[in-house]
Amino acid sequence: MPLIIKDEYPEKLFREDGKRLDGRSEKELRPIKMEVGVIQNADGSAYLEWGNNKIYAAVYGPREVHPHHLAKPDRGVLRVFYRMATFSVFDRKRPAPGRREKEISMILADCIEPLLFLELYPGTSFEVFIEVLDADGGTRCASTTVAALALADAGIPMKSLVSAVAVGKINGKKIVDLSGIEDKAGEADLPIAITWYNEEVSLLQFDGDMDLSEMNEFLSDAKEALEHIHKIQLDVLKSKYLKLQQETKNDKEKEGKKGDE
Amino acid sequence: MMDIKRIISKIERDYIISNLKKEERIDGRGLWEYREFQIKNDIIASAEGSADVSLGDTKIITGLKYEVGEPFPDLPNEGVCTVMAELLPLASPLFERGPPDEQSIELARVVDRGIRHADCVQTKKLCIKEREAVYILFVDMYVINYSGNLIDAGGVSALTTLISAHIPEGVWNEDKHETDWTGKYITGETIVKELPFVITYGKIDDIIFLDPSLPEELVCDGKISISVTEKKITSIQKSGAATFSIDEIKNLGEKSLEIGKKLRKDLDLLQYLNKID
Repeated sequence: MPLIIKDEYPEKLFREDGKRLDGRSEKELRPIKMEVGVIQNADGSAYLEWGNNKIYAAVYGPREVHPHHLAKPDRGVLRVFYRMATFSVFDRKRPAPGRREKEISMILADCIEPLLFLELYPGTSFEVFIEVLDADGGTRCASTTVAALALADAGIPMKSLVSAVAVGKINGKKIVDLSGIEDKAGEADLPIAITWYNEEVSLLQFDGDMDLSEMNEFLSDAKEALEHIHKIQLDVLKSKYLKLQQETKNDKEKEGKKGDE
Repeated sequence: MMDIKRIISKIERDYIISNLKKEERIDGRGLWEYREFQIKNDIIASAEGSADVSLGDTKIITGLKYEVGEPFPDLPNEGVCTVMAELLPLASPLFERGPPDEQSIELARVVDRGIRHADCVQTKKLCIKEREAVYILFVDMYVINYSGNLIDAGGVSALTTLISAHIPEGVWNEDKHETDWTGKYITGETIVKELPFVITYGKIDDIIFLDPSLPEELVCDGKISISVTEKKITSIQKSGAATFSIDEIKNLGEKSLEIGKKLRKDLDLLQYLNKID
């Protein structure tokens, strides 16, 4: 239950015991929970809870391109629509998509596109719809992570998954996975995504100030956190298929028994 | 993935109708049965109230936000409650991007009218200072999966959201001419009085049935939605190209009060009140 009535930043972003306001240590991630196949109508879908962030992603495609003039004769097109619910933020957001949402949609499309074999799907489109229902810092990173899962859930051929996290600096200390308040009140914020097939950076933005050695440290901190997130993504996907395997096995056993009778 | 098309084949249509004639539904329900409701309240930390409601595979997430604004001149001591619906393209291949279309406006309007005319939201309690400051509530519904009958799911979703409300309590500061916050909350207990349920029926030929699923909605001639409180009918909306006889409407009115009574008991929405000391 939020007890904050005015949107004021606290003076200190670390507690007396050196932990962050939500009790995490400097390099600790918030709790992350993911699920695939949550939207029955979609070709692929995923849901993510990352701290207080709650995000749904759905993939439709390959399908016909609307409007038609966007179709490319030699390859498919990937379109990403990142949207926030009106009630996902402190002050009600206006329902129509704003400049921020459009920019993030583009950044996400650019981040995910290297993963896909779009040249195999001429004249079609893949559409990724991302709906942020509850936002608490790092939604673009969380959206990247959940979009990758939804694409994999749709069974679309991919070179690998992509995972994203934000690293940054508050009160001079380097931290991993900024919460909403740390993002607003901190000194630096660097969202970064790694595509695992080549282990290269596919999304990178930065706001704040840092020197060279800080940048190096940010990048290696991020890599470490991302490996952990990637593992969660893989586990979620695997558990879906293990469950399916178990179900088919049970069905076969049942059929086998019927045959014996 | 479910196979969803805008147009349903004749063979599928015939199958649905022949089943209905035998008083059976393709998903095994009787004519007057709802799919299962699943309700979770207060799931969005950023919202002042929220609900995640599933009716079968139809899923709607609703959140409440508030603003403090000036009242309407003709209702100087009453707050305002508005309902909005977004049919997200994420929820179905039938939904397109862009500004709200007729279907989403109808959904928001029917749910809004069901609430507005039922003495549900106590707008007088949402007044901080007459002619100066009142609460403006925004009940925003987001469709996450579309599998028919958004209106009934939306009605329960909006109502649960209002019941789970916890809005910061404001008092008028005469000197500064602005609202001060007491640190306490106004909850659903204060805001919500009557519990209206909106109940939707589909009609194919001369067969009427409750809670149309997606395939039934796509083949049906039309629908009728009736909002009821404990003892009264508070709003009706007929939509689609079907026509209803006077007797049918009389019967449905009676039926709705009966079904409303059952929903009130089965869903027990008051359990979702937020208790804040």
